[in-house]
Amino acid sequence: MSKPLPSASGHFRRSYADEFRLIETRLAKTSAAAFALVLLVFPFAVSPFYVDLATQVFLAAIGALALMLLTGIAGQISLGHAGLLAAGAFTTGILYKEFGAPFWVTLPSAALAGALLGVVFGLPSLRLRGLYLAVSTLALHFLVVYLGGEYETRRGFSTGILVDPPVVFGYEIYAPRVWYFVLLAAAALTLLICINLMRSRSGRAWRAIHSNETVAEALGIGIARYKLLAFVITSAITAMAGALFAYYRGFVSIEAFSLYLTIQYVAMIIIGGMGSLLGALLGALFVTLFPYVIEGAMAALPGADRLAGSVFAVNYAAFGIVMILFLVFEPQGLVGIWRRVRNYFLLWPFRQTALGERP
Amino acid sequence: MTHAHLAEYERLRRTTAPALLCERARAEPDGIAFRSKHRGLYRERSWKAYAEAVARCAAAFQKLGLAPGDRVAIMGDPCEEWVIADLAAQAIGCVTYGIYPTASAEELEYQMRDGGAVLFVAEDQEYVDKILSVAERLMALRYIVVIDDTALFAYDDPRLLTYARIVETETADLGWLEKQVAKLDPAAPAFIVYTSGTTGAPKGAVIAHGKHLAATYNIITHYPMLTKEQRTVVFLPLCHVLGRDIAITMPLFSRLVPHYGEDIEDLSTTFFEVAPTVLFTVPRYLQKFASQILIGISNSTGVKRGAYEFAMKVARRAAQARWEGKRSAIDNAAFAAAWAAVFRPILNKLGFDKLELVISGGAPLPSETAALWQIYGINVLEMYGQTETAGGIVAGQQGPYARPGTVGTVPVGWEVRLAEDGEIHVRSPDLFEGYWNNEEATRAAFTEDGWLRTGDIGTWEDGNLRLIDRARDFIVTSGGKTISPAYIENVMRASPYLSEVVVFGHGRKYLTALVEIDFDMVADWARANDIPYSGFTNLAENPRTRELIRAEIARGNEKLARVEQIKDFRILPKMLDPEEDGEPVTPTRKVKRALMYERFKALVDEMYDDREERLVAAAVGAG
Repeated sequence: MSKPLPSASGHFRRSYADEFRLIETRLAKTSAAAFALVLLVFPFAVSPFYVDLATQVFLAAIGALALMLLTGIAGQISLGHAGLLAAGAFTTGILYKEFGAPFWVTLPSAALAGALLGVVFGLPSLRLRGLYLAVSTLALHFLVVYLGGEYETRRGFSTGILVDPPVVFGYEIYAPRVWYFVLLAAAALTLLICINLMRSRSGRAWRAIHSNETVAEALGIGIARYKLLAFVITSAITAMAGALFAYYRGFVSIEAFSLYLTIQYVAMIIIGGMGSLLGALLGALFVTLFPYVIEGAMAALPGADRLAGSVFAVNYAAFGIVMILFLVFEPQGLVGIWRRVRNYFLLWPFRQTALGERP
Repeated sequence: MTHAHLAEYERLRRTTAPALLCERARAEPDGIAFRSKHRGLYRERSWKAYAEAVARCAAAFQKLGLAPGDRVAIMGDPCEEWVIADLAAQAIGCVTYGIYPTASAEELEYQMRDGGAVLFVAEDQEYVDKILSVAERLMALRYIVVIDDTALFAYDDPRLLTYARIVETETADLGWLEKQVAKLDPAAPAFIVYTSGTTGAPKGAVIAHGKHLAATYNIITHYPMLTKEQRTVVFLPLCHVLGRDIAITMPLFSRLVPHYGEDIEDLSTTFFEVAPTVLFTVPRYLQKFASQILIGISNSTGVKRGAYEFAMKVARRAAQARWEGKRSAIDNAAFAAAWAAVFRPILNKLGFDKLELVISGGAPLPSETAALWQIYGINVLEMYGQTETAGGIVAGQQGPYARPGTVGTVPVGWEVRLAEDGEIHVRSPDLFEGYWNNEEATRAAFTEDGWLRTGDIGTWEDGNLRLIDRARDFIVTSGGKTISPAYIENVMRASPYLSEVVVFGHGRKYLTALVEIDFDMVADWARANDIPYSGFTNLAENPRTRELIRAEIARGNEKLARVEQIKDFRILPKMLDPEEDGEPVTPTRKVKRALMYERFKALVDEMYDDREERLVAAAVGAG
């Protein structure tokens, strides 16, 4: 697949290495720099509450990116996302609690556990599609939750496992601002991995499988191999996100990994926009901030005190309504809105095709 | 400065293009000579690589038995191998000539026969088919060399060779090439350029090595910015002298770096990617791109259109002020804002936002078109030259942003005078040698005292030359008025919907016109207005199209004096196709008037005997 032309004239490629440049135009360079600057300054400019919110967004973004690879790109439905997060979190918790394992052991172990689960639960995808696949991945969720619950009760941590802050090079990661930068870096790294996967052979294979399995197979793409690969990569990344979650919260409890969490991640990729990595980021932002916005809005209403008890219910309902509205009116999700806005300016002052692309 | 230029003319007169290539390859072996897009990448060619490619090709030609003085014909769209083959043939003393990629079989046969080429270079299989269809009647033709050998597996003509195969075993290097070019005589013919010939058969203008270089150098003297690094795109046919100047000759002694696209069909992508800083073009492209912009804007949303119109208002005022030489700082600031908000985004989409100089030549540039581009902020200038001036120009606007309408001033070392009838005469030591095999035409081209007759009528206007028309094209109406059809046609062609307008009226009471609609633009309009059509003819005959064109003509008429106005018109039912035999347009799309009248006599006459028609109609009771 050849890369589309950049949005500004005068960028010609002299070697195939140029094709791999992520940033081509000056506009892209300046906006990327400005965005990076905002992210760097942000934790110093706002209160710790907002720093925590941003950190949650980064954490959610890692999981959403992973799920986007599997569902949005490769087209394999999974309802086991919360289970995978739990697997990562529990691997960390157990290793820490039982063996006092440090950060640099628990994190790869979580990834390994995720990858193994990915293989096991990816196997049904070779035979099952759509709803049947969804149900089989749901089994993963319940299995992990059951095992986690059993561990908690048998070892007497029925309220949850406490995990001490990780120590890296003798430095304890504890302060919110430090966590902000750690998770920002983790999210950025995940994004970079996903971008690279997308423009490599595997990304193209996944998209081909998504579009039409038979055609993809006829093109010489190993369906089984790439489907399993999608499950393994997604599960490994998700389990790592779970591990980071355990450290960030300092506490692992199986109650945190309900089916609702899975629904939230699925909502992130639908609201963000299926098939787009940017969509996963926007979705993570939207879904993470949504409850706070609803809460803030209700607090601003007259008679807020009386409504305080129903915040939770309203939150659920509003979330459901927003999901339905997106599916009906904006199936392309937030990224669809973003694209329309961008095209408006990209095509300026024309309405349709940019002249340069049409002879 | 003048002195230095005269010395440079003298130096170039004593050398050849392949020799200049060798010098450049020695002086800056790693400098970029050109870039050529192949499978998505712009391959950079250094001067050394360029010279070595020419050397290998020249050695291969020599092995095929080509001798000095033999002719080599090249046909195809611009590509690096075209240029390499041309310089290679020149390097071993052969005389090259290009054939229009759009030439019909009949024209091809004529030029092959007239030039007597021994070797024919075909860019791809399409041209192989063309040459093979006439090859049996070409006694002199010994080899056909194909550059792009895709789809050639089914051919087994013994004359057929592929470019890659003949050069692959060659090991000739720069030293070998230097030895070859040392044997060349700078005064000997280097190439032939067939003039498009709006009257009669094409004539081959023979041009010598040294004179061509010296003549072409006058463009550099006129536009000194070409001595700084500039990017340009090669898209004009290389058989035309202007195309040759841009792709082959000027880069040798300037800092112009040509860029070749993947395919001529991808021209707009090439422009967009390269973002040229200098462009040489023929008016047709400027008109075409301007029409695209105008149509794009007219289909845009209200807000965007409003922004464009406001920017135009500002920019028009600023341009007007500049032409009058009283542009203020406020004008500059206002234009800078309009540029940033509207014109730069527009031009960026065409790849035109980095242009510092656009030179239009080859045909008269309608001043409306030039004005529009200048309003957009592009430095569009017009130059005037002929094949017979050996690659040099007779005059050119130096600008920047010269007021449209004239073709500017005469370059250093060249002389121009107007004959009594207004015909432009040129004198320079560096003109063409004469027409190939046509003594009579050669004699007719020069005056007794050795000036070249251009056949164009001009006047002086504040030291600038202004072109009026071709000498033989003037229309004298039955009312005795002498009218220049080219002027009227250019006014009319400013409309995006008209691609060709031919005015008639010689010996008649009033002027009429045959028009060819611009299919793309009118089709766009038709779609926007829900007018169904099935093809060109169907669209041309639609009554609403007629209304559209009538309105466009009426708009043009407003700019003309009463006697110059077009009273009636007919739309041509088919597109003019230079590739077809006997079409009244040349490959450069110049109209052959006499032939046009002959072909569409019925349509033209119909516009004049309206009265009789009505009389007859009344007589038979149909009125």
